[in-house]
Amino acid sequence: MEAGRPAASVSYRNVTKRYAGQDDAAIHDLSLEVEAGEICVLVGPSGSGKTSALRMVNRTVEITEGDILIGDTSVRDRDPAELRREMGYVIQQIGLFPHRTVAENIETVPRLLGWDRARARKRAAELLELIGLDPGLHDRFPNQLSGGQQQRVGVARALAADPPVMLMDEPFGAIDPINRERLQNEFLRLQTEIRKTVLFVTHDIDEAIKMGDRIAIIEQGGRLAQYATPAELLMAPANDFVEDFVGADRALKRLALMRVRDINLWRAPLAFVGQATGEVRAKLEGAEVPHALLVDSDRRPLGWLSESDLQAETVPRTPDSSPEPILDQDDVMRDALADLLQSETQYAPVTDGQGRITGVLSIEIISEFLGSPEAKVEEHAAIERPVEHPVGE
Amino acid sequence: MTPMATALAPLVGQVEIHSRTGENAPCQAQQGKVFCLDWAIDNFDRYTTPLLNQLLLVLIAVAIGFVVAFAFAVLSHRQRWLIPTFTAATGVLYTIPSLAFIFLLLPITGLGWETAIIVLSVYTLQIIYRNIVAGLNNVPPESKDAGRGMGMTDRQLLWRVELPLALPEIIAGLRIATVSTVAISTLMVFANVNTLGQPLYQQIDFKTNIVIAGGLSILMAIVLDVMLLLAQRLLAPWRKPSMEAMT
Repeated sequence: MEAGRPAASVSYRNVTKRYAGQDDAAIHDLSLEVEAGEICVLVGPSGSGKTSALRMVNRTVEITEGDILIGDTSVRDRDPAELRREMGYVIQQIGLFPHRTVAENIETVPRLLGWDRARARKRAAELLELIGLDPGLHDRFPNQLSGGQQQRVGVARALAADPPVMLMDEPFGAIDPINRERLQNEFLRLQTEIRKTVLFVTHDIDEAIKMGDRIAIIEQGGRLAQYATPAELLMAPANDFVEDFVGADRALKRLALMRVRDINLWRAPLAFVGQATGEVRAKLEGAEVPHALLVDSDRRPLGWLSESDLQAETVPRTPDSSPEPILDQDDVMRDALADLLQSETQYAPVTDGQGRITGVLSIEIISEFLGSPEAKVEEHAAIERPVEHPVGE
Repeated sequence: MTPMATALAPLVGQVEIHSRTGENAPCQAQQGKVFCLDWAIDNFDRYTTPLLNQLLLVLIAVAIGFVVAFAFAVLSHRQRWLIPTFTAATGVLYTIPSLAFIFLLLPITGLGWETAIIVLSVYTLQIIYRNIVAGLNNVPPESKDAGRGMGMTDRQLLWRVELPLALPEIIAGLRIATVSTVAISTLMVFANVNTLGQPLYQQIDFKTNIVIAGGLSILMAIVLDVMLLLAQRLLAPWRKPSMEAMT
């Protein structure tokens, strides 16, 4: 890879945009700071001016009043074409050049910057690998790719010259829901590697919550209603507009922000094949989970033991009920809840990357969490309680 | 003299039109025969020079017409208010009858290649200009947005994105212009250029002659058209998959 350029901060300073022939400003005295390496999502209803706000950064829309700084430099002091070559630009309609191959599309900005062909070609190959596109597609034309593949190429093209700032205008807006989800996840994974400063426009609050380190909610007339982390936004909407916009289900949306590992799990009484049922019964006394979980010698869940399973002298090999659903501790809480509801169970074992039990998630834990006003969801530190070591091992 | 040649002769005094039907008596004697192969083989060399002249005339006229129309199109692409002006102006020029056009030019350029080239070039302007403008207008707006957003200057955008994407339509315009120029170029015999019009009007009542001169002209139009079509396929390979997908 080319040596990574450090991301740059983006700072709006009292930015106002008035279009010729319109009385009302499209953007009204907007000030906000985007820290280097963060994803800032600009979200709002259509006509709120969020796209204008984004486009003023690379001067495809000119600023009427105020200023935008990239690092310490005002965009107004820069030649627009040179400025734009330092910023990745991804748009909803993708805008790949139909007459250029996938690789040539990605080479666009490097070539504009005067890189020689070999270097640009090498860079394109790296990026195609990064976005996981089949090498056989490099010399295809864009209309031979699927929509999802095209948008991946669009992202790769924006990253080609390793820009310190990325501007993304509804980049996944035209993609079907399943592929959108996949592209969002891929981009988030990519971002952990590339750490760009990203300005991301969407009208979809769920996408904003998922993608944003910080979210700027923009009201009609281009006024900033709230600028906060997704968790703050969901817990403490600044006004009625924000509360309305994030929706009545904001408590549920908070679940989209956390992973199973972020919550205090219950400890399951564990049982091993051949263990005396008496020991198991003893563990069940006063346990948080009223059922014993049968695990193998690596502590991988095998199933829940029923009352009849415990009638025997020792723990049987085949328990009455399956352990499904088994959750991964890295699962998003919202998905975990969905799994629980779908399989109509109260409890689900949670496992680590090796499939070993780390605890039990219950519907009760989730409802308690949703009910507690002081729940601090932005703490992403993993809370891993060691599972009680079974006696007799 | 044939009636038609008689009618045209005073119009273009310097063009030598006279009947040579006497030479073709054996062929013409066979009533109703459309084509005399023997005669054609014996006399084919009399068409070589007109053929080459006409080809050269067409190529020069279309080339000049393209350069001028291209300059107009690029200029009006930036200054869009010029588009209706140029469209109307080239449209008016297109409506001037060829013979009248030659006469209009007589006092300025006289008879000869210069006049023929001017007339034919001017006729190509309308079609070529309109196709370049349409081609540029049909460039997907998102491609332009992306190009500009990635830091292309107006000139880079024009040459690297807009013109390549307009190419199929530009070549489509060239094809129509070329074919119609081939047709009109036979008339340039009245500007005293020895095109295929020369043998054509010289023996307008001798069928074998009409078939050869007319046939060569049509053949020229077809060959040039196919060559431009091939050029389009070659220069715009990205168009192919979408066309396949449509079928």
